[in-house]
Amino acid sequence: MDIRVIEALHTRYIRAIDDDQLEDWPGLFTENCLYKVVTRENFEQGLPLAVMECRSRGMLQDRVTGYRRINVFEPQRYSHQISGLTVESLDERTVKCRSNYLVVRTVVDGAMSLFSAGIYLDKVVIEPDGALFEERIVIPDSRRIETLLVLPL
Amino acid sequence: MVKSEKPLLEWPPEGITRTPYRVMSDPEIYRWEQERIFRGPVWNYLCLEAEIPGPGSFRTTYIGDTPVIVTRDKEGAIHALVNRCAHKGAMLCLEAGGKRQSFTCVYHAWTYDLAGRLTGVAFQHGVNGKGGMPAEFDLAEHGLERLRCESFQGLIFGTFSTAVEPLESYLGPSMTSQIRRVFHKPVEVLGYHHQVMHNNWKLYMENSRDAYHATILHAFFTTFKLNRLTMDGGLTLERGGWHSLNYSKGATLREGSYEGTGIRSVIEDIGLADPSLLERRQEFDDGVTVLIQSIFPTCVHQQIYNTLALRQVVPQGPGRAELHWTLFGYKDDDPALRSMRLKQSNLIGPAGFVSMEDGAIGEYVQRGIAGAGMDASAVIEMGGREIASTTGSRATEATIRGFWTGYRSLMGL
Repeated sequence: MDIRVIEALHTRYIRAIDDDQLEDWPGLFTENCLYKVVTRENFEQGLPLAVMECRSRGMLQDRVTGYRRINVFEPQRYSHQISGLTVESLDERTVKCRSNYLVVRTVVDGAMSLFSAGIYLDKVVIEPDGALFEERIVIPDSRRIETLLVLPL
Repeated sequence: MVKSEKPLLEWPPEGITRTPYRVMSDPEIYRWEQERIFRGPVWNYLCLEAEIPGPGSFRTTYIGDTPVIVTRDKEGAIHALVNRCAHKGAMLCLEAGGKRQSFTCVYHAWTYDLAGRLTGVAFQHGVNGKGGMPAEFDLAEHGLERLRCESFQGLIFGTFSTAVEPLESYLGPSMTSQIRRVFHKPVEVLGYHHQVMHNNWKLYMENSRDAYHATILHAFFTTFKLNRLTMDGGLTLERGGWHSLNYSKGATLREGSYEGTGIRSVIEDIGLADPSLLERRQEFDDGVTVLIQSIFPTCVHQQIYNTLALRQVVPQGPGRAELHWTLFGYKDDDPALRSMRLKQSNLIGPAGFVSMEDGAIGEYVQRGIAGAGMDASAVIEMGGREIASTTGSRATEATIRGFWTGYRSLMGL
């Protein structure tokens, strides 16, 4: 397994969110994917509640619709920093990955904050034309969300 | 009680249809609220009995600024204690919850039992016959500060007041019947959310009662017809408006009234790529699909479709509050219903399609009122001056006037 395939997927993920190309984000996941943001507080206690939980690519698209058309929030951008990628093959075409992330959020008046830090636990399938997330579990270290979460982490 | 020579502010002559902006930002008013509301004659929601199931279980929370521990002792009795060592005032317990046989302060090892009694003081009798506490030092006089604490249908409330009536009569019949409606069988906690809002705690409490905003700000509600003012529903006020219920019945929707108004929240050309988000099960035979119960001062109990939650607002200074969400289901949920609740939880919480806006809107107000004059105030005239229950129309702010009635009577304003 070439780790650069996973790194390329991470890069496309960051570009989709941080460059305000959120419409590209659902296409980085398989049709029957799972995307979940679970705070460390709930995760460590085995509590199933997620801050955001999409059980299909359609639900990811609905988050894009929420962001573009429905929800009210202060205009904002994220800057993702990703490090510490480890990759472990599960079978011929599936790998398990773990990495650390840091998201700096900048809102319209210029206020910047360290919005979220934590880990990604991923299952990635390797397709002939690239890799896709079958599962991405985001585990923020903090139990707190400042104001609201509208863009995915 | 804080003594004050002159009132903190003059309430506008219009009375209950105005709220001075100053109450949202003035540090002196915030200090008064701690005394007159949070240490005053109110019952504060603390946690669920389900969260402290066995002997030695505990949860920590806050009443206003004051940190509180709720414990269950070896005999099964529930205690609410101030989370503050009686020696130097250090916070005893930092965890959100867990299991303990006793609480020992890390600073000087003063130890308390689950009922808050001081059971040991390190080096109480000195070292090598020297030092130590005076001979007359009585452990019994130095326990943790205890609160009155009562439980209703598994919801635990606490108060610093010796004067406030028992919990059930404080809540009143329409609030207790709503709690019974949901807490009619054992519940199970599904998880927590914690949402920091950069606004005064009262802005969130107003918002939680505000039927007028719900279908205007929250476009998801309106667009996907989860809640509209053209459904059968109503507002129920209790205790002169201190507490309120706002409910609607999804199956009774009448079309019209929203279309063509230009209200942003009616988006006619969109749909969900995965509409399974809105699959729901009728769990209650009254047909109510959305219900928000607001209990004075800082507790909100909600049912939105099959999502069930308690929300508690923790004030953290005049311009900041933290919203604690506890989501639950029933112990006997079948797997399909449990899965449905968790999927629908995308509607609520800090990333909720419906409720994320409430984290932002209070901040918009807090920022908007900065620099307002001493006399500037909010206008609360929807539905006139009435503070009364209604069925049918919910185009009224009676529930908000009810909140301010309770607030003013406690604050003497």
